[in-house]
Amino acid sequence: MGTINGSIKLRLAHVGKRFDAAGRAATVAVDDFTLDVAQGEFLVIVGPSGCGKTTVLNMLAGLDRPSAGSVTLDGREITRPGPARGVMFQDYALFPWQNVRGNVGFGLKHGPAGAGLASDARARRVQDCIDLVGLNGAEDKYPHQLSGGMRQRVALARLMANEPEVLLMDEPLAALDAQTRLILQDELLRIWGQDRAQSSRRTVVFITHAIDEAVFLADRVAVMTTRPGRLKALIDVPLARPRNDATRASAEFQALSQHIWSLIRDEAYRATVT
Amino acid sequence: MATGAPAARANDRIAIGVLRHLRGAAAFFVYLRTMLAFFVVWAIIAWWTSNSVLLPSPLAVFAAIGQLAADLELFFHAGISFARMVGSLMIGALLAIPLGLAMGLSRTVGEVVDPTIEVLRPISGIAWIPLALFIFGIGNALPLFIMTYAGFFPILLGTIAGVRGVDRRLIDAARTMGIPQRTIVTRVVIPAALPSLMVALRLGVAASWTAVVAAELIGAPSGLGYAVEWYRELLATPQVMAFIAMIGVLGYLCDLGVRALARLFTPWASDARSAP
Repeated sequence: MGTINGSIKLRLAHVGKRFDAAGRAATVAVDDFTLDVAQGEFLVIVGPSGCGKTTVLNMLAGLDRPSAGSVTLDGREITRPGPARGVMFQDYALFPWQNVRGNVGFGLKHGPAGAGLASDARARRVQDCIDLVGLNGAEDKYPHQLSGGMRQRVALARLMANEPEVLLMDEPLAALDAQTRLILQDELLRIWGQDRAQSSRRTVVFITHAIDEAVFLADRVAVMTTRPGRLKALIDVPLARPRNDATRASAEFQALSQHIWSLIRDEAYRATVT
Repeated sequence: MATGAPAARANDRIAIGVLRHLRGAAAFFVYLRTMLAFFVVWAIIAWWTSNSVLLPSPLAVFAAIGQLAADLELFFHAGISFARMVGSLMIGALLAIPLGLAMGLSRTVGEVVDPTIEVLRPISGIAWIPLALFIFGIGNALPLFIMTYAGFFPILLGTIAGVRGVDRRLIDAARTMGIPQRTIVTRVVIPAALPSLMVALRLGVAASWTAVVAAELIGAPSGLGYAVEWYRELLATPQVMAFIAMIGVLGYLCDLGVRALARLFTPWASDARSAP
């Protein structure tokens, strides 16, 4: 169950997270969570809503500190957010007062990612990232003028422009319609570089509640249970890359999806009635 | 063909422009029609009372407006009051916005300053006029002070609410890019709070304009409030009402102006209802 290939990039060791609320019992969001993510691996965390997936991601991002255990990147403790770990938020979190170019270049202009870059080199990288996600022609548009799918592309370009070593994605496709979603899954794998060798890929931790999405994208799927959020199973996805529509149609894909669904069905059911 | 298409498009544009004007004109006539009922009722009551000091007829007031406008007296006092309002708003914003930012960003500053603000806020600017008369005497300083005081609180409270209401996700997004704290304040918090700040400014303009008459009635040698008081003493009610009407019209225009500024500075907030 869940084999690690290559060196370990991210490590969550016996991580727990409690939220203390004044006058009420503390909520245990994550409990004794242990998981290693290899360099260049695409790891997907699935679980029913409210299982603490986002809390795990926030701790990896450094936006939240664990109450117990440790979270490390290349063996170093993660204590705060940093440009090495880029985050893509579920609700896009684009800056509404910046156009596409301004959003994509925001980290380069104001953050350490752009330090030492001349302004023309910066502009070129911004344009490359915009081209990469297929938004050329929309550079001067503002977020409120874009569709959901286009906003998500802007968020992806903004993430890539900072060239982080690790990509953390919190249900980035959840708000999109089914067709846009399939297209962006393909795009995501293309941009991630699924044709390249694992050593030259970026490490990805991707959160979703959609099982087919998890199987399509992942090298490994981590299945979580609810309240407290625990790791229930780690499942290898041995589907060949590059993946495409044929992958989605394959019997192996269906079988894996079924298997994961069987693992979380009871949990998901309970989540709908309590 | 090559010349025909742009010409046709230009024609379309003109047609659209004309339509828009017609729609604007139609709205204006609907507005006038509504106002007409108001003027008719006013005229009837004026005729009933038949005392032009208590309530002059609309026609007498229109005549007074025409005469005061022709003498430029109306515009002279309006200009002075408007200048005072702009001045006091600038002073008020200069004081309230930095303080609001500090109170919104720092819990400590907020907790230290808030009690003072909450005690001062319910005191109307008018309550300070007697004291201000001792300190400033009659002149520009007194109305400026009263109007600044009136505009200060809405701007302050709006700024605090704007800063505290900034979408947490935007700050998180900037933090994960490794952007330093101070840059986050200037490049994320302030622009994100700008739409609420523009609303605050609108409320500030309204509050400070409402205070203009009270401040100028007693404490100033010029301005709309002064003119109202001057013509009251002469028992020239049509003139009094002409100036009162001017206060209303100018206040409305000021509000339109601030809204235009808001559209200019925060097009993302007024352009679309859906936040990205």
